[in-house]
Amino acid sequence: MLDKLIELSLKYRILVLVLFIVITAFGYRAYTQIPIDAFPDITPKQVVIYTESPGNSAEDIEKLITYPIESALSGMAGVKLIMSNSIFGLSYVSVFFEDDMDIYFLRQLVSERLGSVDIPKGWGKPVLGPNTTGLGQVFWYQVKDRTNKFSLAELKEMQEYIVAPLFKSVSGVEEVIGWGGYEKQYNVLIDTKKLQDFGITYNDIIGALQNSNQAAGGQYLEFNREQYLIRGAGLYKTLDDIRNTVIKPSQGQAITIGDVASVMPGVAPRFGAVSIDGKEAVMGMVLQRSATNAAKVVANIKAKIQTVNAALPEGVEVVTLYDRTEITHKAVSTMISALLSGVVLVAIVLFLFLFELRSAFIVILSLPLSLLIAFLLMDYYHLSANLMSLSGLAIAVGMIVDGTIVIVENSFRKLHDHPELPKLQVVSEAAREVAKPVTFAILIIAAVFIPLLSLDGLAGKLYTPMALNIVFVMLGSLFVALVLVPVLVLLLLKPTKSAQNSVMRAIKRVYTPLLFFALDNAKKILAVVSIVFVVLAYILTQQGREFMPSLNEESIMYRVIAIPGTALTQSVTTAKEIEEYILQNYPDDVTSVLSMIGRSEKGETAQANYMEVLLTLNPNIKDLPELIQRMSEDLEHHFTFVQFIPTQPIAMRIEELLEGVKAELAVKIYGEDQKELSRIANEIQTALKGIAGLERMEVESQLGQTQIKIVPDYLALARYGVSVAEVMQIIRNGIGEEGVTQKIEGIKRFPIVVKVVDAKDDIEAIKNVTLRSKNGNIVRLKDLCTISIVQGASFIKRENLSRYMVVSMDVEGRDIASFVQEADKIIQKRVSTPTGYYIGWAGDFKNMQEATRTLMIIIPITIALVILLLYTAFNSLKKALIILLNVPFGFIGGILALLVSGIYLSVSAIVGFLAIFAIAILNGIVLVSFIDEMRTKFPDVDLKTVLKDATLLRLRPVLMTAFTTLFGILPLLYATGVGSEIQYPLSVVITGGIISSTLLTLLILPSTYLLFYDKKKG
Amino acid sequence: MKNKILTVLLTFGAVLFANEAVLPTQKATLHSFKKSLALNAKVIQLSNAQQSITSLVSGHLEKYFVKPAEDVKKGDKIALIESIELSRMSAEYIALKKQYASAEKNYESVKKLYEKGMSSMAQLNAELIKKSNIAAQLTTLQSQLETLGIDTQKLHKATSNFILYAHSDGRVAALLKPLHSSVSTDEAVVSIVKNQAYYIKSYLPLEYATKVQAGDKIVVDYAGKKLTSHITQIMPKVDATTQRVIVLSSVDEPTQRLFLGVYLKATLYFAQADSFVAVKKSALSFFQNEWVVFVPSKEDEHGEDEEHHEVPYSLKVVQIIASDENYVGVLGLREGEEYVSDKSYYTKSLLLKSSLGEHGH
Repeated sequence: MLDKLIELSLKYRILVLVLFIVITAFGYRAYTQIPIDAFPDITPKQVVIYTESPGNSAEDIEKLITYPIESALSGMAGVKLIMSNSIFGLSYVSVFFEDDMDIYFLRQLVSERLGSVDIPKGWGKPVLGPNTTGLGQVFWYQVKDRTNKFSLAELKEMQEYIVAPLFKSVSGVEEVIGWGGYEKQYNVLIDTKKLQDFGITYNDIIGALQNSNQAAGGQYLEFNREQYLIRGAGLYKTLDDIRNTVIKPSQGQAITIGDVASVMPGVAPRFGAVSIDGKEAVMGMVLQRSATNAAKVVANIKAKIQTVNAALPEGVEVVTLYDRTEITHKAVSTMISALLSGVVLVAIVLFLFLFELRSAFIVILSLPLSLLIAFLLMDYYHLSANLMSLSGLAIAVGMIVDGTIVIVENSFRKLHDHPELPKLQVVSEAAREVAKPVTFAILIIAAVFIPLLSLDGLAGKLYTPMALNIVFVMLGSLFVALVLVPVLVLLLLKPTKSAQNSVMRAIKRVYTPLLFFALDNAKKILAVVSIVFVVLAYILTQQGREFMPSLNEESIMYRVIAIPGTALTQSVTTAKEIEEYILQNYPDDVTSVLSMIGRSEKGETAQANYMEVLLTLNPNIKDLPELIQRMSEDLEHHFTFVQFIPTQPIAMRIEELLEGVKAELAVKIYGEDQKELSRIANEIQTALKGIAGLERMEVESQLGQTQIKIVPDYLALARYGVSVAEVMQIIRNGIGEEGVTQKIEGIKRFPIVVKVVDAKDDIEAIKNVTLRSKNGNIVRLKDLCTISIVQGASFIKRENLSRYMVVSMDVEGRDIASFVQEADKIIQKRVSTPTGYYIGWAGDFKNMQEATRTLMIIIPITIALVILLLYTAFNSLKKALIILLNVPFGFIGGILALLVSGIYLSVSAIVGFLAIFAIAILNGIVLVSFIDEMRTKFPDVDLKTVLKDATLLRLRPVLMTAFTTLFGILPLLYATGVGSEIQYPLSVVITGGIISSTLLTLLILPSTYLLFYDKKKG
Repeated sequence: MKNKILTVLLTFGAVLFANEAVLPTQKATLHSFKKSLALNAKVIQLSNAQQSITSLVSGHLEKYFVKPAEDVKKGDKIALIESIELSRMSAEYIALKKQYASAEKNYESVKKLYEKGMSSMAQLNAELIKKSNIAAQLTTLQSQLETLGIDTQKLHKATSNFILYAHSDGRVAALLKPLHSSVSTDEAVVSIVKNQAYYIKSYLPLEYATKVQAGDKIVVDYAGKKLTSHITQIMPKVDATTQRVIVLSSVDEPTQRLFLGVYLKATLYFAQADSFVAVKKSALSFFQNEWVVFVPSKEDEHGEDEEHHEVPYSLKVVQIIASDENYVGVLGLREGEEYVSDKSYYTKSLLLKSSLGEHGH
């Protein structure tokens, strides 16, 4: 079949050339069109349900909103996990589904289920979160007032009604979220003591406002053959309309709102703020719809900025705060430059070995062509160009040319040996000779990366694009090698005088005695190498492991955490102080500091004690890690009352995606009673203190929110004739400032709030809020209710319908896996957990564990598959084993390199080992198949001699494939740009592996072959 | 016990803020809590603060000297009444005066005659009785006229004009009789509101009723002006709908214009002042379901913990027993004990943060 293919392509060579020109054109088009992103979309399939319930406590929200939603959703098909967080004013439920389900279908399902959820009236309405990915916040901007003319409330209004709608209309934008500033509302301020004076109740006022602010349609009347529409326009237009609202008539006179209250614009209570360089500000975040192209979305937004600025008042403009595609472009350009330098290096290597321009040209041409085929396939399968997928290409660069090299080299040699034969015949023969090993070698390389495709969860999402791309590009190279290369060889190659060049001669001079020595001492050398491998493999298992090295985003972000229950104003003050401090002390490094405090209008579950501080750095900082270290220490020392956790924008989001735990590693304690959970958490903390490698440990303080608890006293209520509903109404509307109706101004809507004046001055003021019962009794809140100050929950987290508490940790200088092992033992021994309470580990570690488990199953299967392929190729189990034996030789170098550079065994490094696996087998195949060929050609010659000759003859292709792979990967090893650190472990392993694998293949494989087959003879 | 555990557990070594220098501390002092209380109040007048000017004679109302709402002083003319009775009385008075003068003359002449022995003792006595009778009649009539406000000295001819005068300073509230109507005796003609008779009626929540006493100050906010009043009466019966004790206080300074029935915001200042050990409000913090203040611990108490070289703070659980704008009276702190008087938030942060475990290396 392969022979047929080669013959056909040689026969229709013009057609083949045209085909590749077309492929080139389409491949280039695909290359320009592929969406670009920093990371593959690692977001799990999830649907988030938010229920805003302003003013309500975590406990009540959990009971009345979160739990009903959770239980309604729990029985759905495909649900993997339900997590929730109930905080002050917000219920957040996140449902995770199996990854293969369609997100729009899932959203539809969830919506249907939500319809059946029964949430008490006035407690909010559940809504689905935006359909975006975890990294969906692609663009942050500030609505900046250069003139200082506008108030924060006005800027917020502009953000909400001018900027956000314009950005929302940009294609690919799912949602625009505002943060910071004040939200306008209209306050009807009443002094509750006055209710006595006018003989009205609080309820009367609300009723009056709600009844007055109305519009109605009266159909139409016909007059003189024309239609006149009838319209009742009773909606409030001015504040005087509100003031003139009649509450009740009294002796021919009317009591109006204006009589009992003052009406004025005010601002709503807020849950978050934004501060930039010591000044409060208004910002917005653009969320990208899932499965859209971030680069395109941001480009579209940027194009829209001009329109937005034109719509804004003079002096106000939209200023970019953070653009995620910057890092994307940096990361992609790091990969592209690695790819390009790889191509150049490979070309140089080829030229050095072949010393002939034409053959080098053919081999080099196969590089871009294979890549373009890969881009075509990427486009077809909707893979984005990101760090992971591009690094797949970069890893493969050296291997792409292998097939071509073998074919070209063989033709080259044959043309040299048989100048008398027709060229077509020679080329066809040469190609057919090596077609089978080449095909199998490339298929095996592809097969080796299959384990990556099987990875689940985050690891799977990260590494699948890489594996897929390797497979794509290898298949592409196979196609090029079998179809195009013979044609090019036929058209371009000429028989040359000498196929030997000085480089090869020099290498052979060194190599020959070594090979002879190895063949003579086959057994000893094999034994030594085996022992070395076993020792190294053992050392490797004792090494640290980590899931993924973190991406250097060239930016600094701090998560700053103050004690629970911290007031927003205090947090704003802290933020301003931090900003000013950083700007003052790091003027050369930092140009701007942005703090995002609490939560934005939707989509966040942070409270006022939490803020994220993003520093805009000077682009020419030399030593970023040193700066981060210095600054972190400085800040911790200076602001002792808060905690600083250094992170980076994307890293932070990824951390959050790790099962909702914002830390590398965490213990989750499950159980019902928060106090008990807290006790266990503290016990764990005490127990784990002092374990080596523990950098930071943090008990999530779920309790600690001080509450003013107002419990109705039924006897008192009966005494005064006041209902619980009336009490709750004044708490919700009068104190809690929930709007009773809306003032509609064009498209803008502002709540009208009947606010008890001075109610929030202090605790006493709340106690003295006065109610008037329907029969005229005047009574204070404290006469009707027991008012106490207690500490309650700041938030309540649940996972699969069970409450839990998190102890998060940072582990440094040690791998997480072994840390978890030790810590888990200690916890089991020293911490007592009552019935119904249990603990589990979460965070980064969990993903590593999952990945390792899957690999443990998949790798043996892959090896079996490789053996099967080898067996098919050589029709001999023995030879398959000889080739497979090459793999440990490759691993020796990889492990050594890993140990020397002091890198942990991460998934990235594992990918490196997979690549070595492929390379080692490739080397083995090339050599073994040639030895076989020689043996059949010279059946009478002594095996040792055949081995010597064959190995020396194959030295060039083996070295060439090895060196091209090595130089293909070298740019990754030396890359310094954004994203390079993720590829570093991989390239370290491959570099070490290639060297050892090639050396040992050339020395030991002939020896093993000798051992295996000599015995038989003897 | 629980508190003790808290204190022991949470005593901590706090790193001094580089930026805050030192946390401000103060000594707990005795502070007298002059309590004040916001109340609902209303301007009222007691019924005896309105006076009616009644006519003492019946007659015909001829003229008002005042208009409604006019301010009057004591002794100002109010109204003129033409009274037949008065004219009869005044005529009779003039006649009697004349009779008395002639009776006096008669008596003098009889007395001279008697001294000369030309008249008898009986004759002299008869004249004296006659004179005394007239004098008695005259005195009666004179005092009657004077009651009506008529100066008898100047009364030389009969008059029917009866003038009503204001009894005190005040304002004419109403003219009660139409002009030219007849007025009977003891009928009110004009009502006058006394200037000094405004009261503040305040509604006092029950729990304060025992603490308040006569003489305590109530300040009302009247159209932007502060009016001071002092409690004169604490009514024995509570207001039914509001269930509050009613307290009356009279306004001290004379006021020209107060409108009756207007509701006001009032502040009651209790004279009775309680003294407690007090801390600044800014020192309070709520921690593990208790109010606490932070106190600097003695350094040697923590000698065993070599890590804690910095100034340590510990917390003291306190109970709030009184409070005013800036201070709270507390139980649980000795007088003169030093406490962190401000920025308790930072202290609490340090404490909670240090309980989060080892921090940095």
